[in-house]
Amino acid sequence: MPAIEKYIIDATLDLFATMVFLDISPQEPLVGRDDTIDSSLTSMIGLAGDLKGVLAVHCPGPAALGIAGAMLGMECSEIDDDVKDAIGEIANMVAGGLKSALAADSIKTDLAIPTTVLGKQVRTSGQAGVQRFIIPFVTPAGEFGIELQYVLG
Amino acid sequence: MPGGDVTWQIALGGSGVGDFSELIPRVVEATVEIFTGMVMMEIEQDGEPFQELGTLENGITGMVGLAGTHKGMLAVHFPNELAMAITTSFLGMEVEGINEDVQDAVGEIANMLGGNVKTILTDRGYDIQLSLPSTISGEEYTFLPDNELDQVIIPFRAPSGTFFVELELEQ
Repeated sequence: MPAIEKYIIDATLDLFATMVFLDISPQEPLVGRDDTIDSSLTSMIGLAGDLKGVLAVHCPGPAALGIAGAMLGMECSEIDDDVKDAIGEIANMVAGGLKSALAADSIKTDLAIPTTVLGKQVRTSGQAGVQRFIIPFVTPAGEFGIELQYVLG
Repeated sequence: MPGGDVTWQIALGGSGVGDFSELIPRVVEATVEIFTGMVMMEIEQDGEPFQELGTLENGITGMVGLAGTHKGMLAVHFPNELAMAITTSFLGMEVEGINEDVQDAVGEIANMLGGNVKTILTDRGYDIQLSLPSTISGEEYTFLPDNELDQVIIPFRAPSGTFFVELELEQ
């Protein structure tokens, strides 16, 4: 059984160390069906193939601004197209990191495209019978979460 | 507008919608088939397809990703009342509120329609796989799709509300 939680954590840490320049610290995975992370901006990307899944990056407002700002090298004061694109790119790249890690296990997946949702108290859910976890990350700009729902094989 | 406020703009013509002109009737047909056959609900297309949905209020969206030779996304956006009516029809019992059953039903509709769209695209020579379906819901949310892809939104009327099928696709 591949260490999928670890792949997500590693892909996220790698990404932030090389492209976002923000200190982040992973927390214990949340695994209850009702567990959620507060989000104002969520970017989701589907995975298809040997592993079918959906990866979501959930950001409360301040975290979205902080992450986008660190990535773009500028102060972001409102959630605009730049911020939205930045979080979409995070989803794309973490999913890409997962794809590479799974490929090394001979588990082949392809990525769909990121879709970003802006809202007040946006809730996401998966379907019954799928594996699901959320990894919260603590940053100086607040907490964000990476959620993966998946079915293997 | 029944079922909650949706603000949208109609885009007339434009290359985005035009590129979908062959696909749209088949997607409409597939949607009607699923509702007639699986949900037991009469629906019909409700106006011209357009390109920008705007903000949804008190709604729930089922979505599935498309991967393979062409990347994309399919979403079905429902006002809460209609989503509950659909779930009631599926389960044969009353549903109150957007609960797990509603989330599963909406995700399943996205999944079934995704399967039909996959078949339509396979006929075109595309090799597409579907991701897992998921849902998004909330008091107020706005979908901000990838700007680089063509997208089209098709409105439908059901007995208890209007809903939208949204397709984004690399072509």
